[in-house]
Amino acid sequence: MDLHVIAFWSFSALAVISAFGVVFARNIVYNILSLISVLIAVSGLFFNLGAELIGSLQILIYAVAIVVFYVLVISTVPEYKGQSVDPKYMLISIPVGFGIFMELAYVSIYGAWASATGIFSPEVLKEVGNIKAVSSMLFTKYLFPFEVASLILLVAMIGAILLGRKEQVMEENNEHSV
Amino acid sequence: MELLAVIIGIGIKSIIFIIGMFLLAAYLTLVERKFAGHVQQRPGPLHVGFHGLLQPIADALKVLTKEDIVPNFVDKYLFYLASLMAFVPAIMILAVIPFGEPITIFGYEVKPYISDVNVGLILALAFGSISIYGVIFAGWASNSKYPMIGGLRKAAVLIGYEVALGFALVGPIMLAGTFSLREIVEAQQGFFGAFIWYQPLAFVVFLFSILAETGRTPFDVQEAEAELVAGYNTEYSGMKFGLFPLAEWYIATFVLSAMAVILFFGGWNGPHIFGAVSPYIWFMLKLFLVFMFLLWVHWTLPRYRVDQITEIAWKVMLPLTFLNIFITAGIIIIKG
Repeated sequence: MDLHVIAFWSFSALAVISAFGVVFARNIVYNILSLISVLIAVSGLFFNLGAELIGSLQILIYAVAIVVFYVLVISTVPEYKGQSVDPKYMLISIPVGFGIFMELAYVSIYGAWASATGIFSPEVLKEVGNIKAVSSMLFTKYLFPFEVASLILLVAMIGAILLGRKEQVMEENNEHSV
Repeated sequence: MELLAVIIGIGIKSIIFIIGMFLLAAYLTLVERKFAGHVQQRPGPLHVGFHGLLQPIADALKVLTKEDIVPNFVDKYLFYLASLMAFVPAIMILAVIPFGEPITIFGYEVKPYISDVNVGLILALAFGSISIYGVIFAGWASNSKYPMIGGLRKAAVLIGYEVALGFALVGPIMLAGTFSLREIVEAQQGFFGAFIWYQPLAFVVFLFSILAETGRTPFDVQEAEAELVAGYNTEYSGMKFGLFPLAEWYIATFVLSAMAVILFFGGWNGPHIFGAVSPYIWFMLKLFLVFMFLLWVHWTLPRYRVDQITEIAWKVMLPLTFLNIFITAGIIIIKG
């Protein structure tokens, strides 16, 4: 058996089992732990495919930089509150979850037919390396979507700051007390 | 059959690296304690062996045979897992750190690194930052207020400095034109080829980030003894306790010092005055100097407040790295 095949099946199994953990674990900290496990297993799949750059960025950005904020918020919730389940949210979460599932299914089935085309064959990739391949596409063909994505993130950030801003009166009070 | 040989080869190499790191970390504790002692004008460990030379072994035996207490109301599974989550990623960085050029012994080519992936730098950064979870989960699983505060403080520090660290690395990467740590070293030839001469700003930010990431003194708010008992590892005992300082203060500091040497001090480049082993001697010498510098900072300075630390990270360090990237890019464009 090839090493790639073994690695693929073990990472996939790990990802699926952990994904079940994300959905079904009762304790929210275990949910987030399973989420980290899923993301790391998916990064293993990327490495297995030879996409080292995406694999490392998957760990660095998703498994750490993003999830750490979830952990920060969730770990401040006391344990007994983390274990309670409120069934009324299922009314919203089940249809929305089903919608996202349909979308993902469409993308994966569509992608299965559309893949394996493009200028980067395995031989070319071996020659130029992952990083040059990604950046040459990102900064030429996909420059406009890339910039639009960063603009959207900027807007989201400003919105978050605006929502999380303290009231003016509170700030003045704080200054006096200091 | 060839596949099996590769796997066995990598396995043996990994075991050698891990055992070597353990022994080294044990003796780094002695180095630190001696150094701290002399900084504070006391002799440090003195009685176990000649000038305390056997002290690390005595410490290891003590930590291993100590009663392993697990408090009643902790989250048991996560409590055990957290100490491993802090330790394993720290030692995994060794997989991508090169310690020298490949050498030939008895006809076999021996490479003094486990893997040379061309994204080594990002991978090292990724492994380094995963150990944050060990600290946060240790704080949460302990189900006690001081570890909780310690874990959250550490998370706040790490989030800030991880970003600055990542952007500080961009300067050397732009100069070398590669992410592979081995090729970055090869790009720095000669005394004035070392990137420290071209990237002083990045080096300063990198140094601050090492201190913050490894929780050494100006930034050790997560275990501030006077406020938080011992921080996130208050409820731990025995070897589970031992893994935290081992991972954070010794292995992480050692590995990040190695990164500093590779990125800014030309790695194993140096005059060939020690014969065949001179690359290793130069690498270890530089690494030791950086490590001692960090110890020096640790044992001399008082600590910052939490808000000051995050303020420095976001308002000083991050803009400095952006400035550095801007200047470096400008110089590269002008000089071609």
